[in-house]
Amino acid sequence: MSTETSYFDRIVDGFGLDTDNEWPSVVRERLVAYGLLGVYVFVVWFPIYYILITSIQPASEVLSLPINFIPQQITASNYVDIFANRPFELYTFNSLVVASVTTLICVTLGTVTGYTFSRHDFLGNKALLLSIVGARMIPPIALIVPFFSIMSNPPLIGWLTGSLYDTKIALILTYTFFNLPFAVWIMKNYFDGVPESLDEQAQVDGCSQWEGFVKVILPVAKPGIAATAILAFIFSWNEFVFALVLTSSEQAQTLPIAVSLFVADDFVDWAHLAAGGMIAALPGILFGLFFQRYIVSGLTQGAVKE
Amino acid sequence: MSTSTDSLRRTLDRLFVPLTVGPTLLWIAGIIVYPTAQLFWSSLFWTNPITGAREFVGLRNFKDLLVGDAGGWLGVVNPTFVNFTWNTIVYVGFSVTISFLLGLGVALLLNKDLAGRGWLRTAVIVPWILPYVMSGLMWRWMFQAQYGAINGVLAQSGLIESKIAFLSDGTLAMMALIIADVWVFTPFIIIILLAGLQNVPEQLYDAAEVDGASRWSRFRNVTYPFLKPSILVALTIRIIFDIRALDLVWVMTQGGPGKATEVWASWLYRTAMVFGRPGEGAALGVVLLAVTFAIVAVLYKVFGETPYAT
Repeated sequence: MSTETSYFDRIVDGFGLDTDNEWPSVVRERLVAYGLLGVYVFVVWFPIYYILITSIQPASEVLSLPINFIPQQITASNYVDIFANRPFELYTFNSLVVASVTTLICVTLGTVTGYTFSRHDFLGNKALLLSIVGARMIPPIALIVPFFSIMSNPPLIGWLTGSLYDTKIALILTYTFFNLPFAVWIMKNYFDGVPESLDEQAQVDGCSQWEGFVKVILPVAKPGIAATAILAFIFSWNEFVFALVLTSSEQAQTLPIAVSLFVADDFVDWAHLAAGGMIAALPGILFGLFFQRYIVSGLTQGAVKE
Repeated sequence: MSTSTDSLRRTLDRLFVPLTVGPTLLWIAGIIVYPTAQLFWSSLFWTNPITGAREFVGLRNFKDLLVGDAGGWLGVVNPTFVNFTWNTIVYVGFSVTISFLLGLGVALLLNKDLAGRGWLRTAVIVPWILPYVMSGLMWRWMFQAQYGAINGVLAQSGLIESKIAFLSDGTLAMMALIIADVWVFTPFIIIILLAGLQNVPEQLYDAAEVDGASRWSRFRNVTYPFLKPSILVALTIRIIFDIRALDLVWVMTQGGPGKATEVWASWLYRTAMVFGRPGEGAALGVVLLAVTFAIVAVLYKVFGETPYAT
């Protein structure tokens, strides 16, 4: 590295073939990496940008040519309209209730069960764990026929509840089917990473198993619980197919269905659809921006078997 | 008093395992085992679409599904089945391959020691967390013939003379679906592979560099062996998910134009829920279930571990 070459020269060199000069090649590599990632991020976010600007333009502007990629007029009317003309507050409420209750059930059962599978050897524990994980492999779409008939005419409790078709309860029950096995699996893997000496210490201190679990283990497990909760919430919030099959009115329909209702055969009300779509997408965007770490850790715990 | 609370504590402790595992098992049995049994059972019935009368037909639904009036492969397989299976293979094959290669590339870039890596990772994973329906409709809007952004970019920059009706042409519609699918699921590949890349010991790279190993040879001999388990997980989950996912296809093309993008999932939904033929839909569901387990079994055999959970 000669002393008279300037910083600039060295960067320029870095783009050339001179590779025995180690420092500029690092700079070059980083610039290339930033460039490629920049292009990728731009392409990934462009559709989201396009639906965002569609949602804040007057409907007439949306259908005008040539397309303005930078909106000329901005309005909140699409958002106001969907709450005024359609029961979007109900759809949002349904989505919130269904996703929250599902999350609560899955996190509670998933945490205690995951803990026991991680710590206890009991009769058939491997087979049971495998069948829980295997249950998650059943393609949900294959079960639309039985779920439809079971919810329309629930066995055993049918005389008590009547039909569950078009109720939030049907969706909550169904979504635990997707999420509970996943929650057990994530939490089991998470607890596997928590040292057993913690459990032993709790027992030495005279805690019962339950006290030890609640006072010592649960506080340590918070990040795992957060990861499980966030993923269960997102999965239930986003679900479409079963909501389509099991609901028919605004007493149970969720936001994904509400958004799809803007498509009427050949005519699509794009401006309002975009506004509804942004509302449905909001938790995903917010969770993604603020809890990315938990989503990543939950997914990797859930996917990778150690 | 204290002895009775003590004995209660001891009893509760003895019941720790059944109390923590029992409810989950009961729940899962109720919500999975029963419907799955029902699936097999209802695949043996045929429902008259007009009268609604149910009739036990044994395996006839399977015969109709797989053989039909024949004329497909070697004249013994239902041509409709061949056709939609082919669509499924094209859709899943291209989506998974493209999103895998793209995801691998981005994961390798994101694994570098870059400033702002956290933000880049956040920006990259967002598409996966949005509702698939929203993403599907968003892409339908992107590909819209008159006012869609893709036509807008192509036409307003002078690249094309007249606008393209992407979703009205079979091949282009399939291509549009694949693009949307890649957009949605590449983040998943990135996340899984990034986690795998963290298992590669840094010193091995340094050693390889000292040895003057080329970039390709470094990837082949250092990165790949450590990354292999993550690659398997990512590919398995992607394939299985794509075969059974309906959302994107249903809101973007509904299997059209004609039947050009009809895949197993949309076919199943159409048969069971739109045409009201639950028995035939259930038979297709059983086939889908069998194929899923077959894929997992093959991967299990080949790679000797269960790579599955999500």
